[in-house]
Amino acid sequence: MNNAELYALIIIFLVSIGTYGLRLSGLLLSGKISNEGKIRIFLDYLPPTLLLSFVTPVILKEGFAGIVAILLIAVCMYKTKNIFLSMIVGVVTIAISRNFF
Amino acid sequence: MTANINISNDFINGAKANTPIGLSVFAYGAVLGMICAQKGVEIYQLTLMNVFIFAGTSQFIIVDMWNDISEIFTVVTAALLINLRYFLIGASLNPLFKERPLRDKFIYMHLVADENWAVTIERHKRENITPLFLFGGGICLFSIWSIGTYLGYIFAGFINDPSKYALDFAFIAIFTALCFNLYQGKKNLIPWLIAAIIAYVSEYLFGGNLYIIFGAIAGSLAGMILEEKKYE
Repeated sequence: MNNAELYALIIIFLVSIGTYGLRLSGLLLSGKISNEGKIRIFLDYLPPTLLLSFVTPVILKEGFAGIVAILLIAVCMYKTKNIFLSMIVGVVTIAISRNFF
Repeated sequence: MTANINISNDFINGAKANTPIGLSVFAYGAVLGMICAQKGVEIYQLTLMNVFIFAGTSQFIIVDMWNDISEIFTVVTAALLINLRYFLIGASLNPLFKERPLRDKFIYMHLVADENWAVTIERHKRENITPLFLFGGGICLFSIWSIGTYLGYIFAGFINDPSKYALDFAFIAIFTALCFNLYQGKKNLIPWLIAAIIAYVSEYLFGGNLYIIFGAIAGSLAGMILEEKKYE
């Protein structure tokens, strides 16, 4: 085994431990403190705000097509409650805009 | 007996519920496999990352920096910064693991990815599911992700640009759809808006991936402060 391979193994090992540690410690710590009202509200807000933070910059980078895609997804979710269908609507909208505009 | 049937149902339902988003995961994995082949990453190294790290974006970062692999501290820090959000994701899963033994937490948390987390959180609002739903989703995504990376690795020369077909947008579309389902009424509007604005601004200012954390913390803090005022 050469040096580069050894370095790669060390990196993979450290990132594996660190990532698992982050996943587990978040859960274990929140279990200890979540009975207080304030923290409870904070934790309840985490899922939607994490999702929004994920998607907003990417959507805005797509520009007008991104906004149209999101509106269509909203309408589709409201009417059908079908996540798969909503995904197709969003992807097709972006694919059309990337290929034809 | 009924309990057993319910448990295995949760596993299977979790796997099923994650199949649509798997399309996106597959495409993403295929791109990673392609880059691995170009950068000279060995199959066994790719496999170790898939099994033990199982966090797509950080795997991209590591492979991106493959030429500077001797800078261990830099690569590890960059990868872990991107995975910081898993701390918040873990924290948000507390209601799902309520009254579950510690063993369950240790076993099921490893295969938590953005996708099965999002699908599980949304389902948990509507149905009484167990962590096996999350785990079933994790196994499903792990399989699809691994197959995607290997096919990308093997057929590196044949795959056209997946962004042309907007496959990279699939997970954005699904996350958006899941987010709409979590909407509980007007009280959410301001905290959600703050999350979106802070995420956008910090991505613009700093680049990288920390904007996810900044947006989520800002929005959740806003929600906490606003709702607390109402109780007073």
